[in-house]
Amino acid sequence: MTATLAEASAPTEGRAPRAPLTRLLRSELRWVLRRPRTLIGLGLLGLAPVVIGIGISLATGSGRNGPDALFGLLKGNGLLLPLLTLFLSMPLLLPLVGAMSAADALAGESANGTLRGLLLAPVSRVRLLGVKAFGVATVTLIAVAIIAVVGAIAGPLLLGGTSMLTLSGTTLTVLPSLGRVLLAVLWVTVQIWAVGAIALAISACTEHPLIAMASTLAGLIVCTVLESISSLGWLQPYLLPDSWGSIVDLVRDPLDMSSLTTGTWRAVCYIVVGLSLATARMATKDA
Amino acid sequence: MTVEANERAGVESAVAGSTPARVLAARTRGLRKTYGRTVAVDRVDLDLPEGAVLGMLGPNGSGKTTTIRMLLGLTQPTAGEVELLGHALPGGAGHALPHVGALVEGPGFHPFLSGRENLRRVGAAEPLLATGSIRKAVDDALERVGLAAAAGRNYRGYSLGMKQRLGLAAALLVPRRLIVLDEPTNGLDPSGTREVRQVIADLHAAGATVLVSSHLLAEVEATCTHVAVLHQGTVVAQGELAELLQAGSPALQVSTEDISTALNALRAAKVSARAEGDGLRVELTGTTAPEVLRTLVQAGVAVQEARRHRAGLEELFARLTESEPAAIDAEEPR
Repeated sequence: MTATLAEASAPTEGRAPRAPLTRLLRSELRWVLRRPRTLIGLGLLGLAPVVIGIGISLATGSGRNGPDALFGLLKGNGLLLPLLTLFLSMPLLLPLVGAMSAADALAGESANGTLRGLLLAPVSRVRLLGVKAFGVATVTLIAVAIIAVVGAIAGPLLLGGTSMLTLSGTTLTVLPSLGRVLLAVLWVTVQIWAVGAIALAISACTEHPLIAMASTLAGLIVCTVLESISSLGWLQPYLLPDSWGSIVDLVRDPLDMSSLTTGTWRAVCYIVVGLSLATARMATKDA
Repeated sequence: MTVEANERAGVESAVAGSTPARVLAARTRGLRKTYGRTVAVDRVDLDLPEGAVLGMLGPNGSGKTTTIRMLLGLTQPTAGEVELLGHALPGGAGHALPHVGALVEGPGFHPFLSGRENLRRVGAAEPLLATGSIRKAVDDALERVGLAAAAGRNYRGYSLGMKQRLGLAAALLVPRRLIVLDEPTNGLDPSGTREVRQVIADLHAAGATVLVSSHLLAEVEATCTHVAVLHQGTVVAQGELAELLQAGSPALQVSTEDISTALNALRAAKVSARAEGDGLRVELTGTTAPEVLRTLVQAGVAVQEARRHRAGLEELFARLTESEPAAIDAEEPR
C-alpha cells in the first residue's frame, strides 16, 4: 500500500450539499421554544415584575425608613417597574436563563445523543455552533423582553401612572420612559449574551448540562465576590459583572452612557472569547 | 507463530486473493484510537465493498463502536486514515455523510417531542432533503419501521423497541448509499428483529451498502454477505461470509451405530476421527470424503448418513475470539 487514501480517493471538489441555514435556525427555535423547561422558565420570569409590582403597591409608604419608603417613591411611576425588575433579575435570574439554555444547547444535546444525529446529517461543527448560539441568544432576548413587556404593562396598572421618576429628580414622560426601557432591554440582553457565550464554551466541553450550568453560575458568583473586595480593584475591570450596577444610569437625566458603553464593550469581549473557545472545542469534540 | 495465527493468516490470504479490486464504500487503513493509555482500536484495515452487507462482529469492548464512530467522523482517530464513499475524512465529511444513514450507540432523541417531531428535526438538518418534502419523508420513514400509529406520542413514552425503530427511521429518512447500524436489534422483540432483517434485505436489494455491528451471530449469519471479526481492538478476520466459513478445517460427519468398528477401520487407514454424538467426526486432512466412505463401507460399517461439516459462524467466531490469552498477546502490537 504505497498511495495514501487521500491520494487515492476521489477529489473532494465543489461545495458539499448543506441544509439551508434558515431551516436549521427555524428548527432550532422550534426545539428550544417547545422545551418545557424553557417555557416554564420564561413564564416564571414573566411573573417577576408582577410579584414585585404587587409588593410595591402593598407597601403603603407608611414607614419613613427602609425599603418601604423607597418603594413608596415608585408609586405613580409605573414605567420604573420594568427597569427595577431587570435590575433585580440581572445578578442571578437572567444569567440562570442564559446558562441553562447554553447548557442544553450542546451538553444537553450531547447527553441525549442528538448532537451525534446533527453532526451525522451532517451539519458542520462551526455551523452547528452558530445555530446553537443563535438559539441561546434568542431565548435570552425573549427572557429579557418578557420582563420588560410584562413590567411595562403591570407597572402602570399596579403602581399607577406611566411616568418615570429619574435619579436626577426629573420626571420623564411616557415616550422617553419607554425609550429607556428599550435601551435597558438591549443592554441587559448583551450582558446576558456574554454569560451565555461563556456557558456555551463550557457546554461544548462536557456532556452533562448540569456541569455547564453550575460552573457558569459559580463563576458568576465568584466574580461578584471578587467585585466586593476592594483590594482587588485592579482585577475588577476584567470581570463581567463590574458594569452591571451601571444599569441605574438609565434612570438619570440627562442620560450618561459612558459607563453603559464600557459595559457593552466588556460584554462583547466576553462573547468573542466564549464563542472562540466553544469553536475550538467543537472542532475536536467527540460526539 | 501459533497454530491459531497460522489459521488466521490462511483465512485472510484466502479472502484477499478472492476479492478483486472492487469499489469500496468505506475503507480504513491503520486505524488506531487510544484513550489515555488504553488502546481501543489498533491497526484496523477494514474494507467495505459497495453493495455488501458487512456484519461487524466482536465481543463487548472489541472496538466495534469506536471503529464505526471513526468511520463516520464522530471520533477523530489517533492515527490512520478513513475513506467514506470515496471521500477522505475528515475533510470530505460534508460530501460523504449526506449519503450515509446511521444508527450509532442507540437512538438519540428528545423525550419531550413526539416521534414525528423528532424526525422532522432530524429532517431539517438533512442536506439532501428539500424543505417541502420533509413531512412526507418523515411519514414514509415512520411507516417503514412500523411506527406510524405511535408517531404522535412523546418519545418519552416509547418502549425500548419503539425507540430503536425511531432510530432506524432516522437512518432511513433519505435514500442512502450506505447505512451504518450499530446493534440495530437491541431491545427489539422477535418480530422487530425480523423486520430489521427485512429492512436490511430490502436495502441490499436496492443496491445500498450496509454495515451492521452485532454480537448476535445468528442475525449476522442470516443477513450478511461479508463479515469482519474484531477482537481486542483489531480485525482478526474479514471477507465474504461463505469463504470465511469454508476456510475452517474440513470434516465429515458420519451417522452410524457401529462406532467402534468404524473408528478401527479409519484408524487402520490412518484417518483421524473421533466419536461425536450418534456417529463420528472425520477430519478430511490428507483424504477425501469418497475415500472415507469407501473405507467405512468396505469395513462393513452401516453408514446411515454422511454430510460435510459446515463450520457455523459461531464456531468461527469462537475460534477467532476465544483463543488463549498467550496467543493473543503474541499478536498484540506494543
